[in-house]
Amino acid sequence: MDSFGLLLDGFAAAVTPEHLLWALIGVTIGTAVGVLPGIGPALTVALLLPITFRLEPESALIMFAGIYYGGMYGGSTTAILLNTPGESASMITTLEGNKMARAGRAAAALATAALGSFVAATIGTVALTFLAPPVADFATSFGPPEYVALMAVAFVTVSALLGRSLLKGLASLLVGITIGLIGIDTQTGQPRLVFGIDSLLDGVDIVIVVIALFALSEAFGHLLTGTGHTTVQPLRERAVMSKSDFQRSWPAWLRGTALGFPIGSLPAGGAEVPTFLSYATEKRLTKHPEEFGHGAIEGVAGPEAANNAAAAGVLVPLLTIGLPTSATAAVILTAFQSYGLQPGPALFTESGPLVWTLIASLYIGNVMLLVLNLPLAKVWARLLTIPAYGIYAGVLVFATLGTFAAGGTAVDLIILCGLGLLGLLMRLGGIPVAPAVVGLILGPLAEEQLRRALTLSEGDPSILVSSTITIVLWIAVALALIASVAAPLVRRRRRVPSEVS
Amino acid sequence: MTDTRPPDPPEPAATAEAEPVRTEPALDRRSVLASGGFGALMLLAAVLVIVDAARLPETSEAVGPAAVPLPVGVLLGVVGAALLVQARLHLGTAGTGTPWQSGAGPRVLGMVLALVAFALLLPVLGYVLTTAGLFVAAAMLLGAPSLARTAAYGWALAAIVFLVFDRLIGLSLPTGPWGF
Repeated sequence: MDSFGLLLDGFAAAVTPEHLLWALIGVTIGTAVGVLPGIGPALTVALLLPITFRLEPESALIMFAGIYYGGMYGGSTTAILLNTPGESASMITTLEGNKMARAGRAAAALATAALGSFVAATIGTVALTFLAPPVADFATSFGPPEYVALMAVAFVTVSALLGRSLLKGLASLLVGITIGLIGIDTQTGQPRLVFGIDSLLDGVDIVIVVIALFALSEAFGHLLTGTGHTTVQPLRERAVMSKSDFQRSWPAWLRGTALGFPIGSLPAGGAEVPTFLSYATEKRLTKHPEEFGHGAIEGVAGPEAANNAAAAGVLVPLLTIGLPTSATAAVILTAFQSYGLQPGPALFTESGPLVWTLIASLYIGNVMLLVLNLPLAKVWARLLTIPAYGIYAGVLVFATLGTFAAGGTAVDLIILCGLGLLGLLMRLGGIPVAPAVVGLILGPLAEEQLRRALTLSEGDPSILVSSTITIVLWIAVALALIASVAAPLVRRRRRVPSEVS
Repeated sequence: MTDTRPPDPPEPAATAEAEPVRTEPALDRRSVLASGGFGALMLLAAVLVIVDAARLPETSEAVGPAAVPLPVGVLLGVVGAALLVQARLHLGTAGTGTPWQSGAGPRVLGMVLALVAFALLLPVLGYVLTTAGLFVAAAMLLGAPSLARTAAYGWALAAIVFLVFDRLIGLSLPTGPWGF
């Protein structure tokens, strides 16, 4: 029970009145921003990251954990009340959640989402506590070739799973990797893709890229199509569940968690896969099949739990190997680095107390969210009635503020605008943006490991397949590629879309 | 958001009821053109990356600074070309998608100009005034009904952000000649 004792120490560090206040502020702002339409967890975290820069590392971590969970929960509120998922992982929630809201059962949908997220995140955090140290131990045996293979797995799965088309996913990934090349090459000091612009020497900050691709492209998109008339489903009563709601929800929460955590903790991309699987499972097991498609509570409870459990699972490869597998995880990695934490196998031995404080903070953020959100659901719902022009103009204000805080020059703001236009083109062309974010952060890491491996072998590429682990991982890369090419063909032949139906 | 509902190849009837989230009617012409345009940009980027990598000096190490950019440049070119070809193939069958609102192009252009003006004026005029200006420009372009009210909201938001972030949190924001 070594990690349990360390976790208790983490709690001792995290539970002080001052820290609890920061957690409360983080959860509140995180939910308030996350609830705005079109703003998913990755963007919420990127926009609010600058707020935490000036705090002590412990306070920053606990506030950050609050923002993260707040953003996740805010996203499901929007999905349920407005039918606008903030990111692909909460897409499934809209299926039944918005139908429930239209049938006047918004309160029950919000409650099962909140409680399901709480249950899943609790179990997920406990599983993380016990799984992370052994994985980190195992990962200390990894050399550069293993890292190269792991990152290849992440690259392929992220581009294959985060969109419908492998080609478009790859296009997005490559653009991210290219942006990651900009700046001084850390190993030789050579400037790359700088074109004589001094501000580019340090590279393009990931926060700016995330804000541009997610927030600016959203605002630009609304300039083209108009803000439209969205219908917010009213929320009349407090967020509570009846006894039968609860009885139908809790098995779904547990099943969703059981799917979400293991899949999330794989070093492969695809945060929405467990939500799809959970929805399909609930649909198969339900005693009320006639309600599916018209607002079945299991269809909200399961995927929401799966989403949150996967979010906890994603922290396993992130903390132990330093491998982000979703856009949100990529932003979290940047955040950790700015707090002086370098995720990787050495993290638990080098900055142990801070990591356990972080894990305890995640737990506290989760509790705080439940305490705050069930009573306040109505307030969040009211935020959705702010007119769209006000929301997106406000998003631009925070987008420029976040960019200024991350970069601090006029050039950064121009880059923001340019990347925003690129994001608009991607949005119009149906090219997913999440692979670009993952490519941007993983690209330089993969390059570093690749060059380290080839330097060790003096240029002989066979070092990349020199151990059993690497061979297994490269086979996984090949299988993922084959599957992503074959799956659409099979689906087209069967004429039935696979998972959801 | 785009990545939640990427357009599929046309699969009439079946998709609509099975996956109600993706209500987008398969391929529209603009989407095909945008994807082709992105492919063209990737080809351009491929040239830039390869030219830039080619001018990097040789080093004594086993793998120099150009080892990764070169294959990335080649892949950019290949995938970009594939997107262009795919767009060309789909263009014939694409239908019209959701119509854009009136003045869509000028609105985006106006927004870009507002952002560039914001970037250039921020160090000169200070945070509050430029940010209020950006808010008003964005809101009016997005269809805000009343200029006076929007200006009041924008000013209030900019002032609150300045007070909270500059004075309370200590993120030093640029001040104009008047100190805010």
